[in-house]
Amino acid sequence: MSMVRANGLDLHTEEVAPIGAHRGTVVLIHGMTSDNMASWYLTLAHPLAQAGLRVLLYDLRGHGHSARPGTGYTLDDFVADLEALLAHWDPGGPVHLFGNSFGGTVAFAYAARHPSAVAGIVTLESAPPTPAWFDRMTRRLSTVPTLPDSRRVRAASALLAETSIGTELPASALPDPAAYAAVNCPVLCLYGGDSAVKQLAGETGRLLPRSRHVVIEGQKHTLLIDAPDQVRAEVLPWLAAPSI
Amino acid sequence: MPSDSTTILTDVTTMLRSVLGEFGADTEITMATTFGDDLGMESIDVVSLAGRLQARYGSTVNFAYFVSGFDTTSMTGLTVGRLVDFIADSLRKQPAAS
Repeated sequence: MSMVRANGLDLHTEEVAPIGAHRGTVVLIHGMTSDNMASWYLTLAHPLAQAGLRVLLYDLRGHGHSARPGTGYTLDDFVADLEALLAHWDPGGPVHLFGNSFGGTVAFAYAARHPSAVAGIVTLESAPPTPAWFDRMTRRLSTVPTLPDSRRVRAASALLAETSIGTELPASALPDPAAYAAVNCPVLCLYGGDSAVKQLAGETGRLLPRSRHVVIEGQKHTLLIDAPDQVRAEVLPWLAAPSI
Repeated sequence: MPSDSTTILTDVTTMLRSVLGEFGADTEITMATTFGDDLGMESIDVVSLAGRLQARYGSTVNFAYFVSGFDTTSMTGLTVGRLVDFIADSLRKQPAAS
């Protein structure tokens, strides 16, 4: 387990080296509360390394094996963590950012701030940090996940009970929508057909005209858990396309 | 780098006890031990194990590839023995890399 001191916190990171010719770097960002880097590591890390990408993963602050401070959970805090980690990783050029749910929101917010540092964005069940999306996330923060009892669920409950994430994150300052005009990289957004998040696709498309939106039918919010094969089948050909 | 299964099992057992901490202290670990039911491992523990394997064996053992074939929610089929065999195979195929 590799701990990196970034933005004043010890964050858990892992890296999977590219196989064959090095074609770039991808950072995989997980979702909020009951998620951690494992959902990406166990599904996409190897296929992306096999596609020639240096694969970088981390646990968001408060999650997985990363530090869980009592306060400091605004969107800006999460973006600043990613900035500090990328300074540490020193990818040497623009990176792909893949984000699951809230992780995608961190990716969009980072791209709005550093458009030239991002080569491409893939999100699962996510949206840029807009008021409509933050309203949905706020509702999710007020409910403990309904999953079988596990340490993962207990960690999520502790995050909600012992930190200010539930009040700080909904009150985050959101990027100026005009900032997305500078985000020119290709964007692929995947949604579950039975999840309400796809209702946000229209607004995301207006903010990011280069975004492509794909609905995976019969799936809910947890695409990486329930439909990793379909996710791989969409993401890997998209990555290999000449536009990337 | 030794590639015999007994040595690898000893290495893996040490790593698993380190990942599991107090949870796994009194559980016997054999080739038949399952990650999920026997050791109570969750997906984040598998990632912690990956980091330790990488530190021990470097890129010779592609653990991300090994785990990509399993249902990682239930970890059905993930046994210590399958991991030990995978490590042994990897070391045999790439002796020069060690």
